[in-house]
Amino acid sequence: MRGQRSTVWIATAAAIVSLLMAALAQWQETGVAAGGDRWFASLCLAVYFVGAVGVIVLGVGYGRLLGVVTSIAARFLAPPSALDRPHGSGTSNALTEAVDAHLADGDRTVRHLREELQDLQVRSRLSERQKRHVEAILYSLRDAVLVVDGSDRLLMANEPAAKLLGFDAAHACHEPLAEIIGRTHAEFVELLRQSRCNRTEATKRELVFTQGDRPRAFEAIISCVQEDGKTSGVVAVLHDVTKEKEVAQMKNDFVSHVSHELKTPLASITAYSEMLADGEAGDEETRKEFYAVIQNQAQRLNRLIEDILNISRIESGLIKVKKEQASLTILIEEQMQMIRSYAEEKNITVTSGQPIVYDQVHVDKDMISQVIINLLSNAVKYTPAGGHVTVGTEVDEAARLVRVTVTDTGVGIPEDEMGHLFEKFFRVSANNKQAKGTGLGLNLAKQIVEKVHDGRMFVTSKVGVGSTFGFELPLATAEQAAAV
Amino acid sequence: MANKVLVADDEIHIIHVVAIKLRNNGYEVIAANNGLEAYDLACREKPDIVVTDYQMPLMTGIELITKMREDERTKDIPVILLTARSFAVTQEQQESLGVSSCLSKPFSPKELLKTIQDILYQRQLAVKC
Repeated sequence: MRGQRSTVWIATAAAIVSLLMAALAQWQETGVAAGGDRWFASLCLAVYFVGAVGVIVLGVGYGRLLGVVTSIAARFLAPPSALDRPHGSGTSNALTEAVDAHLADGDRTVRHLREELQDLQVRSRLSERQKRHVEAILYSLRDAVLVVDGSDRLLMANEPAAKLLGFDAAHACHEPLAEIIGRTHAEFVELLRQSRCNRTEATKRELVFTQGDRPRAFEAIISCVQEDGKTSGVVAVLHDVTKEKEVAQMKNDFVSHVSHELKTPLASITAYSEMLADGEAGDEETRKEFYAVIQNQAQRLNRLIEDILNISRIESGLIKVKKEQASLTILIEEQMQMIRSYAEEKNITVTSGQPIVYDQVHVDKDMISQVIINLLSNAVKYTPAGGHVTVGTEVDEAARLVRVTVTDTGVGIPEDEMGHLFEKFFRVSANNKQAKGTGLGLNLAKQIVEKVHDGRMFVTSKVGVGSTFGFELPLATAEQAAAV
Repeated sequence: MANKVLVADDEIHIIHVVAIKLRNNGYEVIAANNGLEAYDLACREKPDIVVTDYQMPLMTGIELITKMREDERTKDIPVILLTARSFAVTQEQQESLGVSSCLSKPFSPKELLKTIQDILYQRQLAVKC
C-alpha cells in the first residue's frame, strides 16, 4: 500500500513539473516568435499554472482517499490491534474511528454470545448430570419413590414403587396416577391430590399396603414442589416400617413379659415378708414356711434374671463358655432326677430309653444341663396327668453326632405356631391358659445348642398326641477325648 | 356369720398368703388355681367377694369376670383384680366389667384386706339403704 501511495505522489509531482515546463516553453516560444504578443503568453502561463494547482489538489485528494480505502481494507483483513492507524485527520479519520468502533462492538457481541453459549452448554451438562444423579439415587433406594406433576401425572417412579403399587414403570410415565393405581390404591392417590391442593410442604402418614398376602405398614412422606407460588409437583416416599413396628412391638412385649415375670415372684416375697413383719405368722413352723417361700421365690427371680442375661450374653457373644469332656447320659440322668418330684406331683412318668455306648461330648456342662431341664420341665408342664415323658438318645456314627429327644404325650402344638416356638417370649396360645411360663426357655435352649455348641434344635408335634423336642450335638473328637 | 372370699390365682404361694391374712381377720376363704375352677366355685359357693389374678390358666381373670357378669347367680358379686401387668386393664374396661378395684402386683396383704373391708362395707350400706 505504501508503494502505491508513493507512486501517486511521484506521478503527481511529475505532472506538475511537466505542466510548469510546458508553460515556460510556451511563454518563451510565444514571446520570442511573436515578438510582442505578451498578453497571450501570460494567459497561457496562467492556464498552465491553474492546471498544475488542480493536479496538485487532485493528487492530494486521491492520496487521502487511497489511504482511507487502504485503512478500511486493512481493518477487514487484520485485527484492529495489528493495524497501522493512518495519521490523517478530518472526515477520513472519523470514518475510520466509526468503522473501528462498530467493528469493536460487533466483536464484543460475538464474544459475549460465545461466552453465553459456553455457559449454557456447561449448565446443560450440569443439569443433565444432576438429573442422572437424582435418577441413580432414586433407583438405588429401597424405599418406594414416585413423583407426579402439577396435574397428578406420573413423572418418575423407581422399581420398589412400581412393585409395591403394581404398575409398569416403563409404560406408566406421564399417565394420570388415578388411571394407573386409582382402583387399587385410591387412598394414596387421594392423599397426593390433597397434599398438592393444600400445598403442604411435608405430610407424614401411615398407610397399609398389601404385598403378597401380607399387609405391610408404610410411612408415607409427601412433599410438594413449589414453583412461583404454585405446586408444580408432588414427591412421595414410602418407607416400609413393618419390621420397625414388629421390633417395637417385640420390645414392648419383652418389657411387658419381663416385668410380669419379675413381679410374680416379687409379689410373693413382698407379701410374705410383710406378713412376717406384721407378726401374722403365729408359730415357728409358719414362720419357717414363710422364710422358705421367700427364699424359693428369690431363687426363682434369680433364675429368671439369669435366663434373660444369658440370652442377652449369647446374642452379643459375651458369654463365658467353659467346654469340657462330659458324658451326656450322666447329664440327662441328673436332670431327670431333678424333674421327677415335679412329674410325680402331676402323676406323670418320666423314663429314659436304652443308654448309648459312646456318649462323650465336648460341652459346657451347666449350659447343656439347662437345655435338658428346660425340655423336661416343658414336657411335664404341658402333659396332662397320667401322661408319659420319654427321654431318648442315639448316636449317628456317620455324622459323628449324638441326638437327644424328649417326647411327651401332651397337648401338642398347632402347626401354624410351630415356626415361632423358639422366638423369645413366644408362648403357644393354648398353653397360655394351661400353664405359666416365660417363653424364654426354648429360645435359651436353641441359643445354647446352636450358637454355643454348633448343634441343632428340632421339634415335631401333633395336636392332641404330643410333641418331641430334641437337639443334636457333635460327639467329642479323639483329640478332645485324649485331652481329658 | 363370716364373709366368704373366693381367691383365684395360679400361684399357690399367693393364695396361701392371702388366705392366712384373711382368715386371721375373720374371713372364710375358698380358693381356685385357675379361672374355670374359680367360676364353678363362684356359682356354687356364692362368695361375698372374689379376688382374682389377671393371668390364669384355662380362663383368664377378665374371662372369669365376663362370665360371672353374664351369669344371674354371680353377676352382682364384687371383684378385685390382681395384676402384674400395670396397664393390662384400662379404667374403661374396669368400669364396663364392674371391677370394684384393681391392685398391682406386688401388692400388700394389708392393702388387699383394707380394700375388701371397704368394698363389703359399702355394699352393706347400700343394702341397708
